[in-house]
Amino acid sequence: MASREVVVVGGGITKFAAERVDASVRDLVTEAVLLAVDDAGVDLQTVEHGLTSYESDHFNRQMTLGAILHDHIGMVPKPNVRVEGGGATGALALRTAFAYVKSGLCDSIIVYGGETNGRSVTSATAQQFFSLSSDADWEMMVGGTYTAYYAAMMREHMRLYGTTERQFAHVAVKNRRNAQFNPVAQKPMDLTVDDVLNSIPIAEPYKLLDCSLLSDGAAAVILATEDWAARHSTRWNERPAITFAATGCGTDTMRLGDRPFPYPGLAHFRGKREAARQAYKMAGIKNPRTEIDVAELYDSYSGVELQACEELGFCEYGKAGSLAEDGVFDLGGDLPVNTSGGLLGRGAPVGATGIAQAIEIMLQLRGQADPRRQVANARRGLTDTHAGTGTHCVVNIFERRD
Amino acid sequence: MATVTGKLKHLPAPDPLGPNPDPWADFREIEVLGLEWTQHYKHSLGKYSRFFLELENRRFFATRCPKCQKVWTPPRPVCPDDLTITGWVELSGRGQVVSFSVLHYAPAMLSFLKTPYVLAYVKMEGADTLFAHLLQNFGDLSQIRHGMPVRVVYNNGPVDHPIMLMAFEPADS
Repeated sequence: MASREVVVVGGGITKFAAERVDASVRDLVTEAVLLAVDDAGVDLQTVEHGLTSYESDHFNRQMTLGAILHDHIGMVPKPNVRVEGGGATGALALRTAFAYVKSGLCDSIIVYGGETNGRSVTSATAQQFFSLSSDADWEMMVGGTYTAYYAAMMREHMRLYGTTERQFAHVAVKNRRNAQFNPVAQKPMDLTVDDVLNSIPIAEPYKLLDCSLLSDGAAAVILATEDWAARHSTRWNERPAITFAATGCGTDTMRLGDRPFPYPGLAHFRGKREAARQAYKMAGIKNPRTEIDVAELYDSYSGVELQACEELGFCEYGKAGSLAEDGVFDLGGDLPVNTSGGLLGRGAPVGATGIAQAIEIMLQLRGQADPRRQVANARRGLTDTHAGTGTHCVVNIFERRD
Repeated sequence: MATVTGKLKHLPAPDPLGPNPDPWADFREIEVLGLEWTQHYKHSLGKYSRFFLELENRRFFATRCPKCQKVWTPPRPVCPDDLTITGWVELSGRGQVVSFSVLHYAPAMLSFLKTPYVLAYVKMEGADTLFAHLLQNFGDLSQIRHGMPVRVVYNNGPVDHPIMLMAFEPADS
């Protein structure tokens, strides 16, 4: 049987912004698709399958948005499917597309996603919409917000491991600094740790600058078998081949309070550990700290990046904070994390987020990132994406092959 | 149910990526509308209902799995560990704070909450899971801590949602 290794043919990403007043969600996705097709060097008419990635009918003000998007990029009457998994939507979409290609259901597929989480509603309404994606009967109606759930998780991490606000402030500084070297990033900023510590409290211990962004934006990626890519992409030989090497998915209970003690308890993302275990097994990774060159982690809040580093096995529990202070995860560090700026700096239009993470890894592995954020000799990259407080967790791994 | 409130803005939008030749130059004249939406639902509390009805009687209920004896609060009609139908048990309403957050902003549907307010995860006496609710009358914010004893307090309403018939307060240990 011919190899069914899945390759990343190309990707495209729009400018992320707090308000893309010039574009509806369909405009944004179309814009990303045009960029992806150009980057991939393919005629979209030859791509066999579509996959729509978006989270929320509330934010996008359109149900079955996939029908519109698929239609607007000229993919009808070819097959289409929509994938939704909260914050993990984009990564889960890529994982699903991986399975479609791997199984032989199709040889090529375009995954396109977007969201208008920006200023089309007030911030209080946005918090309300996201709260609807927690347990609406039990936690939303007592004043719960995602910032508060994550804050309670981090407070427990601080109690168990001595993690400090100053340590997770480092993440907020780093990711917004990295965003300065990414032209599509929403919030490039040159900050100090004290700026973060002195920003207004939102849900303590998280302050304004610890929180990720509400964004308008879209991203698209074309996956295929290598044979398909070689036959249909005019640019296939221009760049090193990037393979979609492995994928893993883990889950956890919707309510934090229903999780067993002591593990995961309130402080840990059990689903991330499970997703990573599967992905590492598939990719043959034994020591992720040395075998991964660059990672895009789901920094919905600054402290979550530290928790993710620990669950993904980059270090032991309780050690990520001091490693972050030591610059291990900075550009130029041992294992650069969120070179794109992450959710804190690049932005997070939900349906596009996981795809945007994969595009950053693609650019890093090709050596095409802005030189100021390019990781030298990056050969293997990881994305970590989750929904809720870890209800859906997806780890995808990409490799440069040459 | 839905209203279009008319034109909010009519503006020229710049190319978000700046000085490059703009492929969308023909499409930079933008109109933005206001939309209002309200919905009314009949929202059944289903098999959770007794929990909420007992709050009116100032009693705090959980469910216990007859197979593994695990006590779930909030209640679960089916124990997910055993896929077994549970039954109701009454708890003392006392517990200890495991973790919490101090919120300075409330989501739109709960704009009546006075800020800052405290969301606490509480290990209830006799339960195996944590219950999340508001911690009221906490006095000094710096006194809230892991292990702090709390108790359920009830009110007579009226409230928008029956979950608000209760909250937590600090208790003597």
